[in-house]
Amino acid sequence: MEPKRIRRFSPLDRMFHLALMLTFILQSATGFGRLFITTPWGQGLCRVFGGYDNALVVHQWVGVVMIWGFLAHIGFLLARIQWKRLPESVFGGDSLVPNAQDLKRFGQQVRWFLGKGGPPRHDRWTYWEKFDYWAVFWGMPLLAVTGLMLMHPIASSRYVEGWVLNVAALLHRAEAILAVTYIFVVHFFIGHLRPTSFPMNEAMFSGTVTLKHAVEEKPEWVARLEGEGRLHDAAAAPPASWYRTLYFIFGYLVLCTGIYLLASAIAYSRHIQLH
Amino acid sequence: MRQGTQTKWPAVVPIAMPLLVMLLFLSGKAAGQEEVASAARRYKAYEESTGYYEQFEVLPGRRQAVRRIPGVGQEPFAYSPTAALVRSRTHLADSHQSLKFYENLRCEYCHPDQARDLHTVRANLTCRQCHGGEPIASMDHYYSLMNPIRRHAYVCAKCHEGASASFASYVIHAPAAGSRLARQTFPVLYYAYWFMLALLVGTLAFFIPHSFLVGLRELLPPRTKEET
Ligand code: HEC
Ligand code: HEC
Ligand code: HEC
Repeated sequence: MEPKRIRRFSPLDRMFHLALMLTFILQSATGFGRLFITTPWGQGLCRVFGGYDNALVVHQWVGVVMIWGFLAHIGFLLARIQWKRLPESVFGGDSLVPNAQDLKRFGQQVRWFLGKGGPPRHDRWTYWEKFDYWAVFWGMPLLAVTGLMLMHPIASSRYVEGWVLNVAALLHRAEAILAVTYIFVVHFFIGHLRPTSFPMNEAMFSGTVTLKHAVEEKPEWVARLEGEGRLHDAAAAPPASWYRTLYFIFGYLVLCTGIYLLASAIAYSRHIQLH
Repeated sequence: MRQGTQTKWPAVVPIAMPLLVMLLFLSGKAAGQEEVASAARRYKAYEESTGYYEQFEVLPGRRQAVRRIPGVGQEPFAYSPTAALVRSRTHLADSHQSLKFYENLRCEYCHPDQARDLHTVRANLTCRQCHGGEPIASMDHYYSLMNPIRRHAYVCAKCHEGASASFASYVIHAPAAGSRLARQTFPVLYYAYWFMLALLVGTLAFFIPHSFLVGLRELLPPRTKEET
């Protein structure tokens, strides 16, 4: 008998995602509060964290947690690679590394948009899910390095010229705005708000998807699991209903906060400049 | 990446523990204020930057990212660069010497472009906290506080303890990052700005229509197998 639900994310993956959600929303709130401090909105936002100076302290500590989380994430990635079947493990269907298949599927996707041919048969990760992952992955070191420089400007000006701090500050702010816009518009929409996923894509919270959903969205993945005889190992129990309620409330709280932050930032953007 | 059917927690713990312990120490005090052991670094951070090496006066390195082109961008005084060199008050002990009504006007009135920096707008400093009392010397006057020889010690270190000459090359009145003026005077900032803007616009220009189309296509009836 085929399982009803299969496993998509390990508890560790979900823990990282949850930690990223929490730290990201905190960084957005404190960061925007400081960036917009000359406007009443920014002042209100900073007041939540105890004022302009305290918001910075929160921002720095949360940033440090993010950096360690990122390093830990890399450690776990390295531990997860199966070195014995190396090319397969890094470029195969279970890996998030982009490969030639993604280009092909993107081509099929465009044809599907135009009404020619059916939707591409996605494997475990669609190309936009991979982009989601790598966008954050590359954004993190940039924000981390520039953030640490601004956190210790005097120490870092020993190694680089002081005017690099001007550039670091600009990059930090610009990359933050890029990340926030991308996450709160594209990631939220394609992850949770588009018709198939609405009202919420629960995979990242429950860790599982129904087999029916997986067959519709990721047929190649299910086929591969079946082919390798792993479909039964992947069977999983549905989430408890109290847990489901919990993550629905939590998820929507974060989502609304994010959209509120972005919308207000856009509304007030005329009044600030990117020092 | 292996499918995470079973996570071996015990193997994970030895990696996570040291990280958590180190976490406690990362945001400690900056190293900028401690005594420096290396002679080479000490020379760079202190002797060279004070302008004195033993009893000799030395010229500090020119660290400026900014190429100052007098007259450019200061619209009311926009002379040609050559004329600006002659006419503008670049080497005076009192740069406002004999300017009419100087005493009655606020700095921002005559220097609007200098009133937009982070220190003024967000940290609420007054111009005089950096530029000092009367007379305010021209930037290039040898004894000006702003001479790179002593700027870090006489200006920045008032608030930024341990400021070095390198630190003081941070551009306080940076031009607006995307402006033509920035391209002329601070190219790195200019190109960083336009690069990031292109990245933002490029990513959104691709992914917003893409997401929208995915959503739209899902609303339309799916095609049957035979059709495809
Ligand atoms: C009446 C208008 C006026 C007022 C008010 C004024 N300035 Fe100036 N300032 C000038 C002019 C004109 C120059 C010479 C500009 C040039 O050389 O291009 C100058 C030069 C300077 C310079 C040297 C610039 C250089 O490149 O060498 C500094 C520093 C300066 N002003 C600071 C201030 C500060 C601080 C205040 C407020 C206390 C102030 N100014 C008020 C008109 C004014
Ligand atoms: C944090 C310290 C600081 C504050 C506050 C500050 N300045 Fe400056 N200012 C500087 C430094 C440093 C320079 C030298 C910049 C350079 O050499 O590139 C400078 C340069 C200038 C110049 C020369 C032209 C230029 O842009 O390089 C003028 C004019 C000037 N300042 C005016 C002002 C006025 C007016 C204010 C108040 C609204 C002010 N400054 C506030 C540090 C400060
Ligand atoms: C009167 C005090 C004072 C003086 C003098 C001063 N600063 Fe600052 N500086 C501040 C304050 C306050 C902040 C924090 C601003 C903030 O967080 O918004 C700051 C922030 C900075 C930053 C961090 C900018 C960022 O984007 O986070 C740099 C770099 C800096 N100052 C450089 C200098 C340099 C270079 C000088 C000397 C020319 C100088 N400062 C002189 C008070 C001062």
